[in-house]
Amino acid sequence: MIGNTTILMAVILFSIVLIALLVMRPSITATRGGKILAFVSLLIFPALAGGMGVNQHIEHSKTTNFCLSCHVMEDYGKSLRVDDRSFVPATHFQYNLVPREKACYTCHTDYTMYGDVKSKLRGLKHVYAYYIGKPSQPIKLYQPYNNRECLHCHLGARTFEESEAHTKDPQALSRMKLNQLGCSTSGCHNIIHNIGQLKEATFWKEQGK
Amino acid sequence: MKSQPTKIEKRIRVAGILLIAGLLVELVTLRWSHPTAFLFFLLLGGALMALGIAIYLLSLVSAENKPSVE
Repeated sequence: MIGNTTILMAVILFSIVLIALLVMRPSITATRGGKILAFVSLLIFPALAGGMGVNQHIEHSKTTNFCLSCHVMEDYGKSLRVDDRSFVPATHFQYNLVPREKACYTCHTDYTMYGDVKSKLRGLKHVYAYYIGKPSQPIKLYQPYNNRECLHCHLGARTFEESEAHTKDPQALSRMKLNQLGCSTSGCHNIIHNIGQLKEATFWKEQGK
Repeated sequence: MKSQPTKIEKRIRVAGILLIAGLLVELVTLRWSHPTAFLFFLLLGGALMALGIAIYLLSLVSAENKPSVE
């Protein structure tokens, strides 16, 4: 099946050919056909290619490979392969509880350009820190992890709603749903990326890789 | 003898060159998997394409409207 990237590449290359024709022979715009050609190749096609490009880049920026392409994120990528079920992100990644190709974005939906204006500005700050400044170590979330990220999958699930640990205290579930009782900070699911423990960890090797 | 390009033709040529440059930037950034690629695409490619389109549109509105000879 032809992918979106292939279609976009074809649109870009076709646009370049049409525009090159106009650049070499701008006099053809004197005719009616030439004017239509100029309109299509200098306005319609570039706008289409630009729009498709934005969409493609946004989709691509949701991929795990994209997030892990920065050196500072390497350890966080490794933590997804720790062979220990107490590591929450590793379990989600290895047991396909989140799509592997979009693992980061699934649990960090309000990060940089997907968040508000502040988050977008932070994203630019990250680029500055990556190339010119110094990324802070260890990396920390700007805000405490919001239960919303867990609940967009777990809410309504029987394992979540009927879990003994969740129902022992009758107030607990409602407090979790209101983000008053943090899933990752209340001492229950608190082993997250824990990159400080990677040196002692063993790693899962995916079959066939 | 080659005739001199008109003002509109010159503008179309400039617009075309800018658009080709912008599209080439887009092409390169699509093959590059890194956050910087998105910034290059948006800030450099986007600016070149926007400028190219703007010059083309300017050439349309500023075109001399000579009456046609019947």
